[in-house]
Amino acid sequence: MIAYISRRIAAMFVILFGSSFLIYNAAAYAGDPTEGLRSSTNPQVHQKLIALIRELHLNVPPPARYFIWLKGIGKVFTGHIDLGLTRDHSPVSTAISNAIPITIRLILLSFILAVIFGLGIGIVSALRQYSRFDYAMTFFAFLMYSLPIFWVAVLLKEYLAISFNNFLLNGKIAPLWILSASAVSGFFWAAVISGSRKRVFSIFGFATAATALFLTYLSLSKWFTHPGLGPIMMFILGLGFAVAVTYLSTGIGNKAALRSSVTVVVIGLVLYFPVEYFLKRYANLLTILIMALITVAIATGVPYYFTKIDRRPVIRTSIITSIFVGILFIIDKLMKTWVPYINTDAIHQRPIPTISEANSLLPSGNFWFSSLDTVVHLVLPTIALILITMAGYVRYSRGTMLEVMNQDYIRTARAKGLSERTVIMRHAFRNTLIPITTILVVDFASIMSGAIITENVFAWHGMGTLFNQAVHNQDLNLLMGVFLFTASLVILANLAADLLYSALDPRIRVVGKK
Amino acid sequence: MKARLKTRSIVAAVSAASVALIGFVAVPAHADTRSTVVAIESNTFTSYNNITPDTNIVINGDVQYLTGFPMFYYDDKLNIVPNPKLATWKITKNTASDFEVTYTIAPGRVWSDGVPITAADLLLWHVTTSSDYSKAAGLGDPSSSAGSAFNSVNYGGVYDSHIAGIPTISDNGMSITFKYDSQIPDYLLNGPALEPMPAHTLVELAAGKTSLGSVADGTAANAKFISDVTSKNTKDLLALGKIWSNSYNFTTVDSSTNPLLLVNNGAYKVKSIDSNQITLVASPTYNSGPALSGITTLVIKQGIADGSPSAQALANGDADVYQGQPTADAVAQLKAIQTAKVVTSSSLAFEHIELRVASSGSDTYTGPFAWSGGQKAADLRKAFLLAYPRADIVSKLIAPINPNAVVLSSVINLPGNPEYDHSASVNGMAAFNRGSQADRTAQALRLVKKWYPTAGNGNTPISINLLWGSPGNTRRTSEAALIIAAEAQAGFKVTAPATAGWGGKLTATQYDAHFFIFDQTANPQDAQACGIFQAGGGSNYTGINDPDINKYCDALQKTSLPQATINRYRILIEQAVAKDAFFLGIFQNPEVTAYNSALQNVVPAPLSPSLFWNFWTWHF
Repeated sequence: MIAYISRRIAAMFVILFGSSFLIYNAAAYAGDPTEGLRSSTNPQVHQKLIALIRELHLNVPPPARYFIWLKGIGKVFTGHIDLGLTRDHSPVSTAISNAIPITIRLILLSFILAVIFGLGIGIVSALRQYSRFDYAMTFFAFLMYSLPIFWVAVLLKEYLAISFNNFLLNGKIAPLWILSASAVSGFFWAAVISGSRKRVFSIFGFATAATALFLTYLSLSKWFTHPGLGPIMMFILGLGFAVAVTYLSTGIGNKAALRSSVTVVVIGLVLYFPVEYFLKRYANLLTILIMALITVAIATGVPYYFTKIDRRPVIRTSIITSIFVGILFIIDKLMKTWVPYINTDAIHQRPIPTISEANSLLPSGNFWFSSLDTVVHLVLPTIALILITMAGYVRYSRGTMLEVMNQDYIRTARAKGLSERTVIMRHAFRNTLIPITTILVVDFASIMSGAIITENVFAWHGMGTLFNQAVHNQDLNLLMGVFLFTASLVILANLAADLLYSALDPRIRVVGKK
Repeated sequence: MKARLKTRSIVAAVSAASVALIGFVAVPAHADTRSTVVAIESNTFTSYNNITPDTNIVINGDVQYLTGFPMFYYDDKLNIVPNPKLATWKITKNTASDFEVTYTIAPGRVWSDGVPITAADLLLWHVTTSSDYSKAAGLGDPSSSAGSAFNSVNYGGVYDSHIAGIPTISDNGMSITFKYDSQIPDYLLNGPALEPMPAHTLVELAAGKTSLGSVADGTAANAKFISDVTSKNTKDLLALGKIWSNSYNFTTVDSSTNPLLLVNNGAYKVKSIDSNQITLVASPTYNSGPALSGITTLVIKQGIADGSPSAQALANGDADVYQGQPTADAVAQLKAIQTAKVVTSSSLAFEHIELRVASSGSDTYTGPFAWSGGQKAADLRKAFLLAYPRADIVSKLIAPINPNAVVLSSVINLPGNPEYDHSASVNGMAAFNRGSQADRTAQALRLVKKWYPTAGNGNTPISINLLWGSPGNTRRTSEAALIIAAEAQAGFKVTAPATAGWGGKLTATQYDAHFFIFDQTANPQDAQACGIFQAGGGSNYTGINDPDINKYCDALQKTSLPQATINRYRILIEQAVAKDAFFLGIFQNPEVTAYNSALQNVVPAPLSPSLFWNFWTWHF
């Protein structure tokens, strides 16, 4: 194992050396940092040229210049890696370390959601192979796969920012919108649930009517301008979560699990007002963290009351439910912040922005304002990224799930008389995750290299922007810094994926020596 | 009658009510006067010192202009406007070998830390601009490969070559006299300016201070600065140079930033800078220029891509002002925004075609356009320029962005300059504009047929290598396609591939012609055209060496001349250029400004800081 890892690490250095040499020279020959100066008619342009040649060592041919750069990198062995300076004289290492958290903030949520939705939809469409839902999702996945993200971004900005902000000025949904949204929802649920013709029609009718009623209620109650969940709504949603989680996690037949998770929801709601008070009075990340710990502790404790045997799945169920309840609390608090937030001078009634990561004009020191500000700035890029990346996971998980479902051990499991839920959740789902996990690790590393276009259109200043800047300004040090970071990350992620694969799948072994 | 009145009043009441209702619905709850303007820029801020070679970019200059008020500025008509509130100047000696200008700082002007602005702050200009001083003080030779401790862009200009000795400061410390070895043209433009930082904070920073000092500290620091400079104290000056060149290169400002780095004399001061935005707030101590008209907070959102991201930000109210060089589609998108006004203007940057006539380095040029080719080469040059599809380029590529764009007939007095029309009528460039393009192409073909009788009808005997730019430049890609097609009709076979790293190839003799942009950074007597046309000029990539042009340029660059004489020389230069047939302007770079129509007094100017030049008059 150790031999294997060290061999891979050694190979990594060789790969990095070779590829960085190639990239450096390709980039150096592809552009000309003096280009901007050539078009200036300023009489001092000659002087500037001399300064530029001096600073960028332009009098040294690129293959040799590479080694000037490598000299700084070589200091990695002494612990003081020197990535050099960018063309505007700030250290490359600072630029990269400033960009990493921004990129993580941008992609983490969308990555998690894309994985959850992608896997979910993929698995369901595999289980309903060749159904309307399957076809609909296949169509949807290919459609999203083929959309250019800048165009998706333009549409999102037009409808979810500009039009939505206009809509918020009075918050009333036009009847035509209610009708069409209800019809879309009707079609969706009819396709998902499927079945006989009669059943499809009744589902369509029910879903359409329910959506229409719900939207009309939201419109009339001015929910969009004064959003909030409130204890009642939270209770209903919480119960829904409790039942759904129990069904997927242990099966609804496990009474202890159902009781525990419902109890968790009830405890949460009983504590609604104290929790609210704490979130308001001590508004900071530490409070939330402590409350999250308490929540998980309670959720771990509750099952002890309901069952004495086989506690693990029950505890798991109630913990997952409690996390949902916690998220509901946060959402409720953010919704309560909404009205004061959009009435601030900085927001002036247009909460969904099309650009930037944050609004510097907000009154500082208000935790919930800045949290909500982060959320509204994340809305559009997150949706765009989810739409684009989800499609791949839908296709991949569908394919894997189908393959797994045809395996002998699934037939064996069914023959044993296990319930269909157990067969799918315990035998099929887990085995589907093995190849997908390894893909996700590598995927995440490559997304870290920057969602270049997404960052550009939404004006986020993460790794993608750095890369873009480096290419535009012919900034070789910056370009190489970004390259070195992302290339190492991808190589390490590949290694991690291989190790993970062997850990997850006992049939695979990593071998140090043949 | 009565009944009619009643109906009328009902109609009036109903319409009034509905207008009120619409108003109630459409106008956000608080419609009180806003005092915040949000501007967007596509670049990102890199330094608070915008006069080093690497940080001399538009956004840094804008921030500097907003937070540091100058002694004079350009208005939107290219006039230099003095700012007597801060300083006055007069020529105190004017003989053939002795030219002195004395600048006097108005009393009571202060930096944002309360320390008075004095002549010491203008002395700093000399330290960062005179190569002789840099060498004499042991700071290094700016033109050598090692450079000077003050890594400044100012070295190498008119001031540098004509300043005589260290400027002298009056006894009260408020006046400073600059002595030149001869009369210099544009003595204001070439003369001193306040730097992005005061002299006293440099001294305080060098002493390791991390908080604002008292006025007495500042005055003492100024005295130390003057004595260091006059006594050429190498050790102390090297320390100042290190700070001047490096310490201002920050891209974030927060509570941990050393406040000494942010001391300036402008209407705004920097409150914070992060990767998203630069937040400027009104400076309470500001008294160096005209007062603000109501905008107390100015935010520049940075790194916002040109085109639809900018347009949609404006439409969504994320921004109030935008200036950029968008595509025709994006202009249409901007015009569709109901709450925004769109102004298309032209910057002092112009696209041009130039033909190589001689080598500009060591290689020799013997191509079809070479000066040594005599009459044949002259005819071919003229034919190439006549067949050049300038009108097509303007109407297809530029007019959709700026409907008022014209084919340039003068590049020294660009459109917008009051002299343009007169120049265009007498400078000889009209010969390349006469008739339709078909006429001009026919004329070009006749010239070519003199030397290549088989030319025309698809026969292209003359091969031309044309250099233009990198593949990413879509506008130039379109231009190149138009040019290849148009020149083929006059017998030229143009090879014009996109070339990465084209800038470095401008001096290579393998190319017979180049088209690209020239960007004027100021409007001195020679309109910076002599760098292009004079033998040995910094932007002379054609190898032209015309004794007439050299003579006129010498005259324009030697002394300050009356405007009429300047205009005459400018025309004479262009007449020579037209006669030599090696250079034509094509179009002025279109610039689009779009802003919240509630914001008043946004008037773009052709020179940087184009959008912000009159920021203090802005209000809602």
